[in-house]
Amino acid sequence: MSRLGVFDVSVRYGKVPALTDVTLHIGEGERIFISGPNGAGKSSLLKAISGAVPTAHGRIELDGDLLTGRPPEAVARLGLSMVPEGREIFGRLTVEENLRVGTGIRRDADAVEGDIAEIYRAFPILAERRHASAGALSGGQQQMLAIGRALMTNPKLMMVDEPSLGLAPKIVDQVYDTLVALQEERGLTLLIVEQSSVRAGRVGGRMILLRGGQVVGEGDAAAFADKDALTEAYFGKTGKEAAE
Amino acid sequence: MNTAAQLFFDAASLGGIYAMAALGIALIFGVMNLVNFAHGQYIAFCVFALIVPSTDAVAVMFLGRAPAFLLIPLLLAVGAAAAVASEYAVFRHLRKATPVAMMISSFALGFVIQNALLATYGGRPKAISLWPELNTPVTVMGASVPLLQLIVILATLTVVAGLALLLKKTRIGLEMRAAAENFTMARLLGVRANVVITGAFALSGALAAAVALIMATQTGVADVRMGGQIMLVAFIATVIGGLGSLPGAVAAGFLIGAVSVLLQAYLPLDARPFRDAFLYTLVIVSLLVRPQGLFVPSSAKPRV
Repeated sequence: MSRLGVFDVSVRYGKVPALTDVTLHIGEGERIFISGPNGAGKSSLLKAISGAVPTAHGRIELDGDLLTGRPPEAVARLGLSMVPEGREIFGRLTVEENLRVGTGIRRDADAVEGDIAEIYRAFPILAERRHASAGALSGGQQQMLAIGRALMTNPKLMMVDEPSLGLAPKIVDQVYDTLVALQEERGLTLLIVEQSSVRAGRVGGRMILLRGGQVVGEGDAAAFADKDALTEAYFGKTGKEAAE
Repeated sequence: MNTAAQLFFDAASLGGIYAMAALGIALIFGVMNLVNFAHGQYIAFCVFALIVPSTDAVAVMFLGRAPAFLLIPLLLAVGAAAAVASEYAVFRHLRKATPVAMMISSFALGFVIQNALLATYGGRPKAISLWPELNTPVTVMGASVPLLQLIVILATLTVVAGLALLLKKTRIGLEMRAAAENFTMARLLGVRANVVITGAFALSGALAAAVALIMATQTGVADVRMGGQIMLVAFIATVIGGLGSLPGAVAAGFLIGAVSVLLQAYLPLDARPFRDAFLYTLVIVSLLVRPQGLFVPSSAKPRV
């Protein structure tokens, strides 16, 4: 059984279709990139999985638990965690409070302190600024915090939406190094939205290509990144620019 | 007699009442962008919960007969229950409605409560006697002040400190602050929308009950219209304080209390009947100068 199963899912905003009959599966411990041009439905897919937008059709399961029709807080309880686009950290809360918001759903309350210490080990800068308000952090630090905050719910599947958005390339490297390291340590299952196929190829994993709300390609991320012609075909010129 | 001390106690006790009422409004606005205009009627409801339901001119104490140590928690619970019930009956069905639709519904709810009180208790104001001994003056720092004023100041400080502790130190407090900042994100982290909103309404209703206890003791009257005036001032305080900002609501409540006491004391005699006109002119000026609120950093993004 796959960890995440998305079966024939459609999402519509009013009459405008954002996703049409999307089916995909993610195995336990796998790393999946969702890629595609603007408006391809990447964010809609994440929102549908997390319960933030309703599905018009289809079914989503996490470890066999039905996610469709549940509100986001119930989906989170079933083991799904999200690092949203734009990070969405709580700027008026302290760094440590941000980390604690998502721990309310955990049944292993004893393990929370240890996990916070672990996050601080992974991101020493967060430990240094633990009592500072999170709004004062730099973009890269906020991305680290958003990842740490998502990990603190102890998720089965973590979804990361456009982690490279608005960050310097060097910081993006750091973010991906961290994600990969965390995944290896914890056996985490990762679903990452990444517009740059080159970046996805460098990090490695399986890639699913969306376009116009449909799955139009699937395969090894590195292979996708190599196939310039294919990239061109799917992304057009703007996509290629974004990829560089 | 010490005029400065007298003015200070007047301002602090009036401001304390405003601050508590403003907090009740700001709490709910913070988590669900609702300006709950029924808050004034929660206050009236709590005052009437003190007496036996009847349209007789003479009020017979009901909850009001309980000793203070019972009455206070009991009435706070009544206020909390009334607010939570109204959320359950009305606002829960409007979660996805626009802020304007929710606000208008809160007006409607206010009228429903007011008319229910009117039908149950009659329209005439009733004399009630709650803790009359608290109105005896005591001398503090050369000023002669009713004991109640001191209690109000103390109660406000206790409420503000208690609320700050609750928000800072408890799980529900953390969730409420997170939800107030970004509700969707909080839910994505497993924060239950219903728990947070119910919590905000319960706290808001308990604050309304605290204001009701003070008003009932101070005025010695139960009147179905009694929440309206304070609701208006409290709403203004939340706007001046920066909608949704709890420290802002408290600060603005105290500020409005202080300004109205000072105007009352120092306006020329002929102008004193128009004190509120001067007060609201100052409100307009403050909103023109700082539309985002006095106590919000100017860099903060507008919340409405």
